[in-house]
Amino acid sequence: MTMVNITINGQKVSAPVGSTILKAAKLASIDIPTLCDHPALVPVGACRICVVEVTGQRTLITACTFPITEGMEIQTESPQVVKARKLILDLLFSERNHYCPFCQMSGDCELQKLGYRYGLDHFIYPTYTKGFPVDATRKYFFMDHNRCVLCGRCERACGDLVANHTLGLRNRGASSMIHADANVPFGESSCVSCGTCLQVCPTGALCDKRSAYMGRNIQTEHIKSICNRCSIGCGMEIVTRGGNVLRIDSDWNGEINEGLLCKNGRFDPLYDERERVTQPMIRIGGKLFPSSWDEALKTITEKIGSANAKEIGVLASSNSTNEALYLLGQLFCKELKATNVGLLNSTAPKLFDKPQGSLADIEKSDVILVAGTDPANDQPVASFFVKHAVDRGAKLILAGGKDNGLAPFATMIIDDLGKAVEIAERAGNPVVLYGAGVTEKGANALKKLQGKASFVAIEPGVNTRAAVAFGFNNEFKASAAKVLYALLGEQGLGSEDVLKDVDKKAFIVVQASYVSPLTDKADVVLPTAIWSEQAGSLTNTEGRVQKVNKAVEPKGEAKPDWEVLSLLASKLGKKLGTSLDEISAKATQELK
Amino acid sequence: MTKVKVATDWLAGCAGCHMSLLDIDERIVKLLELVEITSSPVTDLKHPPKEGVTVGILEGAICNTHNIEVAKQMRERCQILIAVGDCATFGGVPAMRNLCGTDAALKRAYIDTEPVVDGLIPDSPELGKPLEMVTGIGEVVKVDLFIPGCPPRADAFWYALTELLAGRTPIILPPHLFTYD
Repeated sequence: MTMVNITINGQKVSAPVGSTILKAAKLASIDIPTLCDHPALVPVGACRICVVEVTGQRTLITACTFPITEGMEIQTESPQVVKARKLILDLLFSERNHYCPFCQMSGDCELQKLGYRYGLDHFIYPTYTKGFPVDATRKYFFMDHNRCVLCGRCERACGDLVANHTLGLRNRGASSMIHADANVPFGESSCVSCGTCLQVCPTGALCDKRSAYMGRNIQTEHIKSICNRCSIGCGMEIVTRGGNVLRIDSDWNGEINEGLLCKNGRFDPLYDERERVTQPMIRIGGKLFPSSWDEALKTITEKIGSANAKEIGVLASSNSTNEALYLLGQLFCKELKATNVGLLNSTAPKLFDKPQGSLADIEKSDVILVAGTDPANDQPVASFFVKHAVDRGAKLILAGGKDNGLAPFATMIIDDLGKAVEIAERAGNPVVLYGAGVTEKGANALKKLQGKASFVAIEPGVNTRAAVAFGFNNEFKASAAKVLYALLGEQGLGSEDVLKDVDKKAFIVVQASYVSPLTDKADVVLPTAIWSEQAGSLTNTEGRVQKVNKAVEPKGEAKPDWEVLSLLASKLGKKLGTSLDEISAKATQELK
Repeated sequence: MTKVKVATDWLAGCAGCHMSLLDIDERIVKLLELVEITSSPVTDLKHPPKEGVTVGILEGAICNTHNIEVAKQMRERCQILIAVGDCATFGGVPAMRNLCGTDAALKRAYIDTEPVVDGLIPDSPELGKPLEMVTGIGEVVKVDLFIPGCPPRADAFWYALTELLAGRTPIILPPHLFTYD
């Protein structure tokens, strides 16, 4: 790599050619203040806080946008620079309501930090001269335009990162405002509430309704984990305080999402108001009564022990961890020889023995063929990748489904998958995103693109890949089960049809986090932890195994999903491992 | 050695800054060995003496014409004027009314408030007239030292006063005492 030599504050610094002054300074640990700049966004030099003095330049230069050249001499805190920054701050603070104490961001605000750094102790210019509206029409977060500094981070996040292009800027000068679409309330706009703008906002202009005023960053813990709302496997940070989850941030270092999250992953988990199952329960005389773990497991052991393999039915939810699904497979399929096992959600058709592509291929493709899946609704982050590629110039072919969330972005919508494949065949670098909606005929049509296209199965459910790998894709016959073990986890019961055929006399064990029609019918209920309460691992739709971490304690007597099965296995006298590390290692080995 | 004379007063504030000053705790004994507090809202004498003081301390925002009179009188009668607290420096909580306008705020408070029947906005000539814009003290008089904070920490008061007594004029407080969050 070609290096360029420059001098910053008299210190010799070399940085790769093409670096901005800001990047070069960062490499040398020289701190230049910024406001509109953000590591994940394209710099625009809007706020001008990062101005520096460059010898030979007519005026002060914005460090975030200006590339370095050989021999450049830079001063980052010269009297002229400091004077300019103070002026910029005085103007910024005067523009709107930037009075700190009653702002939710106070203590974490980047504008406030700059005020401290440059000794802003009173307003130089008249302030509060004009009131701006507050837009709280979105469910999860609101925008107070009075706190906005017009840095444009939100607009760039919406356009450059999420490729949704909802946000823009209207009016001029002091009247400038961030707006959605053609100036409609955010709640009625094309906004998908992914919250990326919320996370990049440097001030209190964008504010999370749920976690506002509930703690400053310094008072909170950030636990890295993986989202379990769909099969993409986005990295996230669970923000907690005092054993409570305040909010979910995206992880900028997430391997797949690189800082993106969606409404389903960032907000919905915190608004789940279903009643939790908090202790083991046993049905006695037609009613469920609280019991101890030991009693509950003993009751199950007796029933399973006396049933023959054909009488055992097992239903698994794909939102369980790799470890739980592994143990469930080992215990029931391997040890107890049960064959009537099934998965609570459908799966994408298996086109090939080996995975043929990854989500990262979307970014490199020139034609994207989407078939039998609706990522905009079910796996939104994958749809962001698609929209991003469309922005770049890639063509999007939707096979069927005018109701598909990606329809407004599609180059063409073709009902006949065969014809869509013919078009994709002519592309240089096609990628196929296919889901459970692809029929057998469709699958055969898609196979024609083998060798040419990159195939990414977009699995419905969460940990479907692991569930399938551990044997849970068979045809499940509810009527055949005399003893039914349902590993439900957090899954809402879309399986009332399954229940309909269950033998009235069948003994039903439900391992679940929430009360549901199935727990109401159960003979034994085992409380299990939710996403924030357990460690383990998840396999995403590409087959990538990622670790999830525990952020808070399980509610009541609930236990991690794998631990429940490990205890049950021990009670049945099967040695399948007791520690998470041991089971994790075995599960991961099996998944390879 | 004669004691240094200090006067304090409050404008549109909540008295919290004065409470924070008292929070210097036992150090107040040492302070009173060196300074004479001629007047303050929490002592018997309320107005700064005509012959003047060395240091004047003001808490609260400029909200009405009365606040301007008090601020100007303090300015005339002191050599060094300190504005303490977020109200005196930035406008503070009273300045929130700037976002809706003074008329709307008065109407909401005296007429539209739920239990009020036949409400009336006070307009006695003895009262100061509310201003259209609430501001910090710096808008109407020259201020020599701003100590923001809601309230400023007791240590910030202690630091500023001991620096002044040592013959040094702090321009901006050190970072650990300079905070308005």
